[in-house]
Amino acid sequence: MSLLDLSDLAIQAGELSLVDGVTLDVHPGEIVALVGESGSGKSLTALSIVDLLGEGLRVTRGSRRFDGADLTPKRLRKLRGQDIAMIFQEPVSSLNPLMPVGAQVAESLIVHGTASESEAQSAAIDMLRRVGIPDPDRRATQLPAELSGGMCQRVMIAAALISRPRLLIADEPTTALDVTIQAQILSLIRDLTREQGTAVLLITHDMGVVAEMADRVCVMYGGRVVEQGAVHDLFAAPRHPYTDMLLRTMPRPDDPPKEPLFAIKGSVPGPRDWPSGCRFRSRCPRADAACTERPPLQGDGHRAACFHPMRPT
Amino acid sequence: MTLLQIEDLKVHFPVRTGRFGGGKGTVRAVDGVSLSIDARETLALVGESGCGKSTLGNAVLGLAPVTAGTIQFDGQDLGTLSTAARKRLWRDMQVVFQDPVSALNPRRSIASSIAEPLIIHGWSGSIPDRVTELMELVGLNADQRTRRPQALSGGQRQRVVIARALALNPRLIICDEPVSALDVSIQSQILNLLMRLQAELDLSYLFISHDLSVVRHIADRVAVMYLGTVVEDGPASAVFSDPVHPYTQALMSAIPLPDPSRRDRGDRVLLQGDLPSPLDPPSGCPFRTRCPLAEPRCAETRPALTPQGPGHRAACLVQDRNPGGPPA
Ligand SMILES: Nc1ncnc2c1ncn2[C@@H]1O[C@H](COP(=O)(O)OP(=O)(O)O)[C@@H](O)[C@H]1O
Ligand SMILES: Nc1ncnc2c1ncn2[C@@H]1O[C@H](COP(=O)(O)OP(=O)(O)O)[C@@H](O)[C@H]1O
Ligand code: SF4
Ligand code: SF4
Ligand SMILES: [Mg+2]
Ligand SMILES: [Mg+2]
Repeated sequence: MSLLDLSDLAIQAGELSLVDGVTLDVHPGEIVALVGESGSGKSLTALSIVDLLGEGLRVTRGSRRFDGADLTPKRLRKLRGQDIAMIFQEPVSSLNPLMPVGAQVAESLIVHGTASESEAQSAAIDMLRRVGIPDPDRRATQLPAELSGGMCQRVMIAAALISRPRLLIADEPTTALDVTIQAQILSLIRDLTREQGTAVLLITHDMGVVAEMADRVCVMYGGRVVEQGAVHDLFAAPRHPYTDMLLRTMPRPDDPPKEPLFAIKGSVPGPRDWPSGCRFRSRCPRADAACTERPPLQGDGHRAACFHPMRPT
Repeated sequence: MTLLQIEDLKVHFPVRTGRFGGGKGTVRAVDGVSLSIDARETLALVGESGCGKSTLGNAVLGLAPVTAGTIQFDGQDLGTLSTAARKRLWRDMQVVFQDPVSALNPRRSIASSIAEPLIIHGWSGSIPDRVTELMELVGLNADQRTRRPQALSGGQRQRVVIARALALNPRLIICDEPVSALDVSIQSQILNLLMRLQAELDLSYLFISHDLSVVRHIADRVAVMYLGTVVEDGPASAVFSDPVHPYTQALMSAIPLPDPSRRDRGDRVLLQGDLPSPLDPPSGCPFRTRCPLAEPRCAETRPALTPQGPGHRAACLVQDRNPGGPPA
């Protein structure tokens, strides 16, 4: 049974549709990547799961279920920080600048009454050590500003994982970091969640990160899911023209150097400029009259929302 | 022909240190770098943030103070030129930064942004004609002349910035993370534009980037920086396929490949720890605090760049393929 279940989720700002019919599920112990370019609705989807959508935004349709039951605001207050944890792209701004990092890692244990203050403090130091912070006893007493970006991201991961959540939502956790630190953080997320059996919803715009991490993938464009499937199937045989082209734009090690790269025409339209019907049709080389209707997400396991997919579903 | 020649360049910044800013220190942002770029060549500068890439580019552009060393452009030492002569030379050198939003004045039309350098430097021909020509060159539509930058997409804004950089027929463009702020589906459009312009206009690029997949595709030569120094440089093919320095090896193996069947490749070098502070770099080899191959002697001696193959240099005591040979 799936742990997280989103079905036909829609989010609007006033009358403006930002997320339109997202359906996805995450099973225990699984890493599911939610991938798409900026503005495709990834962060809003994630924030709606934990009921942290900002002012003026509301869920207008669909269901969000965790462990088989609806995620009501009341239930979420208990689950958040305990069974469901979240980490964000900007660790420095997500941490409290005035609180020592050790106390921030210990916080969820204390708030949820799982441990006494001194137990929580020593658990926090232990967790800081496990995420690879050198000299954790001393570091625990420092403020976020005294740590590098990579170390702050590790502190966030420690704070998120200390309560052994069943679901970790990680929104672009390595986008602000350098590749060598990214590689450390990704392997840390992979090892720790595997050890604890945590399910991960990993949000990223980087197909390289998806290929390194995900068991399954969900590709978004213009606030909708355009393709989803197991990582090997999706990379080996993408069905949606957008996924196919996105993969082909990436420079690969065996490409002849200095030759023109494959490019997708046009630019990513904002929510006010999404075309009717298929939202990719303004950039799609396969578009025809049929595409003025909305294509349904079709297929078994590996699914795509396209009237003229690259490969039969 | 060598267009840009940098010899033992140092850029040091005096800074206040400590929690309350009471102490004094020196950030050795660039600490003894020698590099050269030929005409029509792309030299990529790679390395983690804070290693001094932008400072080096800024020093070439006269935007960061040179503490020591020389920068020669087309055989002329920038440090000894008169202000007027240097101004003339700076037409030959332009820059494209990462963020096209802050590079453009929101109150100016596209055409007037592109015309700005033509007016400042007194373009002799027709300015409107030159603007039209430049817009065509970078793939902007003529009907976008009167638009404000806010009305354009990120990719189009970067085209405007590139058109403006090309206005005075430069020979060298410093591209500082030119596609990092763009959507992935747009990046290859801009990279293709830069490659086409280079071929058409005989441009040289100093291409600063943290994205190694991109660098592998467009660079002729690569210089890898760590804590203000170059630890390896050479032809892109050699540096990527046969890296010598342990830092270069770690960087290469950290590139996430868009191929899930290769995720468990066994040759991964995962680095421990973070970049040390440039205020207080380690003794000896700057990389030794994170180096998987460090030995006691690495704390004693600062390794110099030594030849490893044709045009290929690296600064490592342990991996040196030509120990005891002459320094490069
Ligand atoms: N409060 C808001 N009001 C109006 N539009 C918003 C608001 N928050 C986000 N958006 C828009 O919703 C779209 C999706 O945003 P987001 O989920 O953050 O995208 P992603 O995380 O995929 O980059 C974007 O176009 C964004 O500008
Ligand atoms: N004006 C300045 N004053 C003090 N330190 C600076 C200044 N500019 C850059 N630095 C420092 O110099 C180092 C190199 O910075 P930078 O050249 O921007 O690196 P990169 O472009 O490789 O990320 C960093 O430690 C940075 O904080
Ligand atoms: S439905 Fe039509 S426009 Fe949309 S992706 Fe498929 S072919 Fe392209
Ligand atoms: S000199 Fe020593 S510490 Fe430096 S890179 Fe080589 S092996 Fe590592
Ligand atoms: Mg986002
Ligand atoms: Mg920089």
